[in-house]
Amino acid sequence: MAIDRAAHVHEQFLTRLAAQDFPDTGLGLSAEGVGLSKAELGKIFISQMTSRQLDRAARDLQKRGEGYYTIGSSGHEGNAAIAAALRPTDMAFLHYRDAAFQIHRATQVPGENIIWDMMLSFAASSDDPISGGRHKVLGSKRLNIPPQTSTIASHLPKAVGAAYSLGLARKAAPEFPAMPKDAIVMCSFGDASANHSTSQGAFNTASWTAYQGIPLPLLFVCEDNGIGISTRTPENWIAESFKARPELKYFSCNGLDILDAYRVAREAADYVRRYKKPAFLHMGTVRLYGHAGSDVQTAYMRKAEVEADEANDPLLHGARLMLAEGVMSAEDIRETYTALGQRIARIGEQIITRPKLLTPDAVMESIVPPKRDVVPSNHPSNADRKKLFDSDMRAMEKPQHMAKLLNWALTDLMHEHESIVMAGEDIGPKGGVYHVTAKLAQRFGNRRVINTLLDEQSILGLAIGLAHNGYLPIPEIQFLAYLHNAEDQIRGEAATLSFFSKGQYTNPMIIRIAGLAYQRGFGGHFHNDNSLAVLRDIPGVIIACPSNGEDGVHMMRECVRLAREEQRVIVFLEPIALYMTRDLHEADDKAWAALYPPPGEGKPISLGDIGQHGRGTDLAILTYGNGYYLSRQAEAVLSKTHKVKTRVIDLRWLAPLNEAAILKAIAPCKNVLIVDECRKTGSQSEALMALVQEGAKHAPNLSRLTADDSFIPLGKGATVTLPSKESIIEAALELVQGGAL
Amino acid sequence: MNKKTALVICPGRGTYNKAELGYLARHHGDRKDMLATFEAERARLSQPSLKSLDEAERYSVATHTRGDNASLLIHACAYGDFQAIDRDRFEIAAITGNSMGWYIALACARAVSREDGGRIVNTMGTYMQENLIGGQIVYPLVGDDWTEVAGRRAEIETAMAGVNAKSANQVYVSIELGGMLVLAGNDAGLKALVKALPVIDRFPMTLANHAAFHTELQAANSARGLETLPASLFSQPGIPLIDGRGVIWQRGATDTNALHQYTFGHQVTETYDFTRAIQVGVREFAPDCIIVLGPGTTLGGAVAQSLIEIDWQGLSAKPDFAARQETNPYLLAMGRDDQRQLVV
Repeated sequence: MAIDRAAHVHEQFLTRLAAQDFPDTGLGLSAEGVGLSKAELGKIFISQMTSRQLDRAARDLQKRGEGYYTIGSSGHEGNAAIAAALRPTDMAFLHYRDAAFQIHRATQVPGENIIWDMMLSFAASSDDPISGGRHKVLGSKRLNIPPQTSTIASHLPKAVGAAYSLGLARKAAPEFPAMPKDAIVMCSFGDASANHSTSQGAFNTASWTAYQGIPLPLLFVCEDNGIGISTRTPENWIAESFKARPELKYFSCNGLDILDAYRVAREAADYVRRYKKPAFLHMGTVRLYGHAGSDVQTAYMRKAEVEADEANDPLLHGARLMLAEGVMSAEDIRETYTALGQRIARIGEQIITRPKLLTPDAVMESIVPPKRDVVPSNHPSNADRKKLFDSDMRAMEKPQHMAKLLNWALTDLMHEHESIVMAGEDIGPKGGVYHVTAKLAQRFGNRRVINTLLDEQSILGLAIGLAHNGYLPIPEIQFLAYLHNAEDQIRGEAATLSFFSKGQYTNPMIIRIAGLAYQRGFGGHFHNDNSLAVLRDIPGVIIACPSNGEDGVHMMRECVRLAREEQRVIVFLEPIALYMTRDLHEADDKAWAALYPPPGEGKPISLGDIGQHGRGTDLAILTYGNGYYLSRQAEAVLSKTHKVKTRVIDLRWLAPLNEAAILKAIAPCKNVLIVDECRKTGSQSEALMALVQEGAKHAPNLSRLTADDSFIPLGKGATVTLPSKESIIEAALELVQGGAL
Repeated sequence: MNKKTALVICPGRGTYNKAELGYLARHHGDRKDMLATFEAERARLSQPSLKSLDEAERYSVATHTRGDNASLLIHACAYGDFQAIDRDRFEIAAITGNSMGWYIALACARAVSREDGGRIVNTMGTYMQENLIGGQIVYPLVGDDWTEVAGRRAEIETAMAGVNAKSANQVYVSIELGGMLVLAGNDAGLKALVKALPVIDRFPMTLANHAAFHTELQAANSARGLETLPASLFSQPGIPLIDGRGVIWQRGATDTNALHQYTFGHQVTETYDFTRAIQVGVREFAPDCIIVLGPGTTLGGAVAQSLIEIDWQGLSAKPDFAARQETNPYLLAMGRDDQRQLVV
């Protein structure tokens, strides 16, 4: 039977403590020399011992079937010294091995019951103040530690965004600031996680930003224990990889030595705070007990290697310092450590009696964030708007296409809400590939209209981070296909934040994505992607898809309201092929152009409001986006030529579907045709088919017309796999005639 | 035999009342060294002896509730009670106190010596008496079942804001006392606040001979305390201490200058959150029981209400607490003879 390494490390600590047989880093530092008071040194050491005893308790609870998480912080306790070097108002995005950091930060804010709180998370109790029992995460609203699992380093891009927000705050204040202006952002991760492309993107973006002189007060902390689960990090890999990145200053410290970790972390934090530049703090640690409770290290490590790490237990190093500095005697340490263990065991008996999440409603309660109070904004005066829009005011007298209308809507919204920040590739002076962001950079400056580097993860991370500090970001993904390399920033991060924080942390934003197919003369798959499957199943995310400019204006206004007041994460999908479309049935009919409705005018569109053209009851066509446009063309032919009385319903909002409104709209119709421009597999049509089948009181004849399960080719073949006006007419007639009209 | 772990709570002012007359003699007459220490402090300032106060024929509100008399008298009773706890049966996990009870807690936890503890209490009590500014009133946050009355806190805050709108008025939250709020202010402010708050039974209730403790009106007393009672009086506590913000002070990790600064600074001039101290105490130390030192029994309700607020061990209202106390008392008040027997 394998040795219980946790028990062994515990026994070793007590034995070597009694014998005063301590390892030594040989650095020869003194508390006074590094500017640390003896009391603070003692406090850090107690935080470390608390973290250690909590790790042991987590394992005990798990063995009893009362605990659900055993990935611990043992060996990494040096991060308590990093907490000591920072301020509790410095937002910290933590590595999952950073319990000691959070425990120590809790000593900097009065009234915390950190052991209680952490143990609630081990037991997945609904009392857990951060996640409400949804996951064992480090995190705390009062301690400025947003929760995340950090498992795949997906928290690094948002840390860059949060740091960017601090520089921005000096120019344009956020509406809901979460950090003081002199704060810095800290983000920690392991040596193995530093290799994720997501991390690499974040390091690159931080460097790229600082290289241009843009403030980015961000402290990356790499906790290097030399191994990622079972795979060794090559020797010196982290140091060699990071010591010479542009504008990312490299610091290194020994995490086994509280004094060295504090000294260097202080130096690094001071550098970041003073110069508003990013830094990379490389902290050497060991990993004790393996990766998680179930991990047997000797399966992939030699026993001598395991023992060498254990011999370097940071608590033994800490005990040596306590004695050397005269802070505690060996007996004081033994008593404190033992008392902590007993205390934690008693607390464990209490927390296992606390309530759990037992119903779906309870689990899902925080998927949708809570509403928040906002100061009602007055629409800008006409005089202001005239000045702002200048020559565009004349153009507003004529009907315009969607790209122009959206541009004006965004202009008005940015004017009205100073906390709106846009970010994306080429959205600045160029105004975006399709000019939807034209003149915004000129009107609102390049700090609010950010031309980003070409990295979608960084764009979404920037938005998430900005939102953490109270801005209302509107990031743009240039083409729908570009979302896919970054979608975890929505799925794993933005969408989960409210869920994992009981709605205490939110990152409201509107992600504009130019997408869908039907572009003439430009394209191929990467510019004509017609799959939304990656977005459709993410709980809590709203998907808006306007089919025309007027709807687009009202829907964008509603999205800003939803983000600002209801803290929602929204994807605003703009059909590229309809951006410049003015005509519907024939050249120059301008039926697809509209006059720009100034703020407060026109008929608003609320979340879930569907659009409907026609009142016919022979056939209802359920569709959206380009499908709606084509169905409107088809409807004219069906009505006039084939005498099929038709209504065309524009879903507008693809998630959540307003099921009641859809069912009501199709209720009088004998036939329902679903037209979906996305691929048959995974498209909205699947949900609509199921909805009608399951929900309609009087089952209509039902069929669907979708795109084929193909990628979009280049050239003349670009639309052959997609629904067309003709194929819609054909499908409608087949359905209606088959249904014995 | 396994020891029971206990969270110890030190009482504040207003706990030595008529029924407590003779408490010191009755329970601690044999603690001659302790009494001598405290009497020496009284003699140093030419103040009436504790013995004369404790063994007076009649209880006098005017005499016994004065800050310069009540403080050390209560301290002596409580400190004696702490010494009387049977350490073979109880292990003290942590100590906290209410208001002036903080000074007692410092002494019990050995963060200050017995002598200095007496001196601190007596000095601060005397300063308070010499510089009586304003007063305190009590008002309930909870109903008869000890659960929070929805909207009550907001109602009080609105009334306070209305009163403070007049520049002559100053009212503050003095103590978060479980189901009660102790409000303090200058005379004009309190008068207006008493008028503004709806009458509920005997509340708002004025506390005799109390000043506007734990408010900025005590700035002068705070400054005097900081000056005359130096940081050198403080040392590492032997037992974890929980202050009136819920901060835990531990051996080896206590900055004695910070402890000094808190004790005569924030603690004197800012809200004392007794509720939080209790809640941190039970959550962070999970004691087997809570021992409230005497004299008096007035803190029991506040402690129970603090527990009810966090649904501690299934206590969700007053009847739960009463039932628990009947069968297997969680809270042991040394000021009650029956419960005292379970502790000494």
